[in-house]
Amino acid sequence: MKVHQIMTKDLTSMEKNAPVRGLIFTLDNAEMSNMPIVDEEGKLIGFISEKDLIKAALPGYFEMLHSTSFIPDMNQLVKKLAQIADDPIEKYMQHDVICVEEDDDDLQAADLIIRKDLKSLPVIDKDGRLVGVVKRIDLLRHLL
Amino acid sequence: MIITVTPNPAIDKMYWVDRLKMGRVVREEFLTRAIRSDTSAGGKGINISIFLARMGVENVAMGFVGGHTGHVVVRDLREEGVTTNFVWVNGETRTNVTVLERERAHSPILIDEEGSPVSQEEISYFLRRYKRMLKRATWVVLAGSLPPKVDADLYRVLAEMATEAGAKVVVSARGNALTHALRAVPYLVKPDTREHLSIEGAPLTTRSKIIAAGRRIIETGVRILVVSHEVTGDIVITRDTIWEIKARVKTTQFKNLVGADDVLLGGILYMMDKGEDLEEALRFGMAAGILSAESDKKICQNMEKIEEEMAHISLERI
Repeated sequence: MKVHQIMTKDLTSMEKNAPVRGLIFTLDNAEMSNMPIVDEEGKLIGFISEKDLIKAALPGYFEMLHSTSFIPDMNQLVKKLAQIADDPIEKYMQHDVICVEEDDDDLQAADLIIRKDLKSLPVIDKDGRLVGVVKRIDLLRHLL
Repeated sequence: MIITVTPNPAIDKMYWVDRLKMGRVVREEFLTRAIRSDTSAGGKGINISIFLARMGVENVAMGFVGGHTGHVVVRDLREEGVTTNFVWVNGETRTNVTVLERERAHSPILIDEEGSPVSQEEISYFLRRYKRMLKRATWVVLAGSLPPKVDADLYRVLAEMATEAGAKVVVSARGNALTHALRAVPYLVKPDTREHLSIEGAPLTTRSKIIAAGRRIIETGVRILVVSHEVTGDIVITRDTIWEIKARVKTTQFKNLVGADDVLLGGILYMMDKGEDLEEALRFGMAAGILSAESDKKICQNMEKIEEEMAHISLERI
């Protein structure tokens, strides 16, 4: 089966100059855990996850997770998030995007999602434009 | 690619009852029990998107959604195979309730919510996304009411952007939103006639008044004007021809008029997108609309039955 047959056909995305505040609003309301970033042509140029935002607010947190199981200072997180709220997404997004093409095999998408521990994977067409996302749940639904 | 824009989508909640009971006190005998109910994504553009997707036409639905009901709209569309590209806003997507009474020949009682306001910032964000999508668009459908506090000029802006990008624009709206949209000279216009039939403020009560007002609109450059005149009859005006489309069916067969108008427009668009001529597209659209009205389902798309229904549709030049 091809990726376009199992993907969620949703084009929710943001531009790199949108503020972090807007990103958090959309992630929250659309119940997404990451966001594809596109240029004016709709071409995929980046990707940002909740994890990237937490990393931006508390740079050492994920390293500390190996030795502790709690956020060391909640006040610090809140303060840092407020500081970056008006920053453009571009500052924190991943520029090397892991993605698949719509005509790729579903197996390829499954392999990437599992191996790279991704919650979702952007799907692009031959011209590099975003056409959807493959979520873990899409794979599970499809496998059933 | 076809893009539909529904700025004020809805959840369509439908109840089928024998008779709506009304009383002054809350007692068991005044309780109306629904024989059946149905919940689905709604709004004029969304209905068109669903019809097209069921006919196998790739299309993208755009607009504004919010809250729990917003998720229901998006989920429904995805399940239908429509690509979604909505801007999430504060507030809740509205719910429109329809009660169909069996003992009153399924005459609908409609309760429509106004919808949640959309801010200027959210409109700006939408416009950037819309501009991106126009690069892939061949047709753009602007349909339905505008959310509260949104400038009535929005459809004109969207129509002009689409025309400039090389897409053909279809508008199905009413009131000020329609008046403003007409200034952008869309390709096809279908006034929303659910409340009262009027174009640019002029009430259209007779066939001759419809034709006179329609001719004025066509003179501005609009290519096709479709006006629902009666439940089973529409008037279509182009630069060269005026048609009356009639369906030879009994209105007593109608079970659900909600969305039938949108299916009619979806049918016309489906055929024109395939390159069929206008007469065939009109006949097909009317047949699809009538079939939906005759069905319990809001949107009926059975190709075989639509083609059978086309035998009951006549197209007469006026």
